[in-house]
Amino acid sequence: MTVQTALSAQDFKSDVKPIWCPGCGDYAVLSAMTKALAELDVPREQIAFISGIGCSSRIPAYTNVYGFHGVHGRALAIAAGVKLARPDLTVIVAGGDGDGLSIGGNHFLHACRRNVDMTYVIMDNEVYGMTKGQASPTTSPDWCNSKLTPEGTGISPVEPVRLALAAGANFIARGFAGNPAEVSRLIVEGVRHPGFSFIQILSPCITYRPEEREWRNAVHASGEQPAQSMTEAMHRLASDDGFTTGVLFAGNRPAFMPARAAKATLADIERKFVS
Amino acid sequence: MSDVALFLAHSVALESEAADRYDELADAMEVHNNPKVAAMFRKQAHYSRLHLADVQETAKDVELPKLKPWEYQWQSAEGPESAPVERTHYLMTPYHCVHLALQNERRGHQYYADVARNSPDPEVRRLAAEFAAEEAEHVVMLEKLAATIEEPQPDWDLDLDPPVVTD
Repeated sequence: MTVQTALSAQDFKSDVKPIWCPGCGDYAVLSAMTKALAELDVPREQIAFISGIGCSSRIPAYTNVYGFHGVHGRALAIAAGVKLARPDLTVIVAGGDGDGLSIGGNHFLHACRRNVDMTYVIMDNEVYGMTKGQASPTTSPDWCNSKLTPEGTGISPVEPVRLALAAGANFIARGFAGNPAEVSRLIVEGVRHPGFSFIQILSPCITYRPEEREWRNAVHASGEQPAQSMTEAMHRLASDDGFTTGVLFAGNRPAFMPARAAKATLADIERKFVS
Repeated sequence: MSDVALFLAHSVALESEAADRYDELADAMEVHNNPKVAAMFRKQAHYSRLHLADVQETAKDVELPKLKPWEYQWQSAEGPESAPVERTHYLMTPYHCVHLALQNERRGHQYYADVARNSPDPEVRRLAAEFAAEEAEHVVMLEKLAATIEEPQPDWDLDLDPPVVTD
């Protein structure tokens, strides 16, 4: 039993009504996020919620904290800038699989290895929803329900958690939108873990991928303590079926933070040029 | 469930989460111009809040534990009366809405009936049996309502201007 924070989940919801399709998993992620924010006990004005472009990237508007609805794929770059300029803020980033792993794929790699203290939530529905249903980087190669890829993409999908581990993320977890309480726990743990935390949330798109309703029957809890070494995490993820939920890796790399104080005065620098 | 305070904390959460979810679904239906179903979800949220008030009245002299979202001991991923988000559709009809609510109430009844059968605490068993009886009444009411609503045609989700456009 623990003491609840003064602010409730409702306090973290804005008055803006989501325009997601009814049935979208992102509703449950929003609910999980506001509950997590209430648990974190951080004042609303101390939270920066950054996103890119896409259905899921609309989420900051639906919360009652400072938000930045950024440029497609660039949410992590914006968020890193916010965190480095204002290390006192709790920085959370959210977006979809297309925004984060295709358009923003390069930023994702470098955010993982840079290890700035922030939490990145990818709401993965394996499709570009906002542009009406095209294959995304996490779509399986044989999904052929888009007119752009009538015979499937034929390309192996990106495995977000494996990619994050290989690139150096310090905390890696996977959740399922159908279990919002567990997603809340993952977000709280991710925010509290130092360094770059990556959380993949399987969030069904019932409009373009109605078969994803079956994810409810496919997900299964890890049942193990988080791997703490990269070797152990690699070993476990090698046999991961993509539906294991829980904290998969909790590393101990120190978070990146550049020196705040100047190392030399302007006069010192000028003297170097003179001599 | 071996403690009255813990049981009542679960009962409060069950009703408040169900009410919040119905409101979210009503909002979604309003946004997607499905006013009939939106009104039905809104009414379900109202009823859930009435039930919540009843539970809070029962619990007014009990100091309830403050649980984190993941500390609730549900048998499913969410509170038993919370409508599963993925069971909704922007073209769903009053028939689907009533049947969704009916399933939620049945799960709520099942939850309380299980606690009433299995709790080692006699007071928890008494309260759970009382709540189970109330849920049973809600189930009967919704069954009667459901019987008055005709099942829609199989093509109820046919959209002549569908969102799936890739060309």
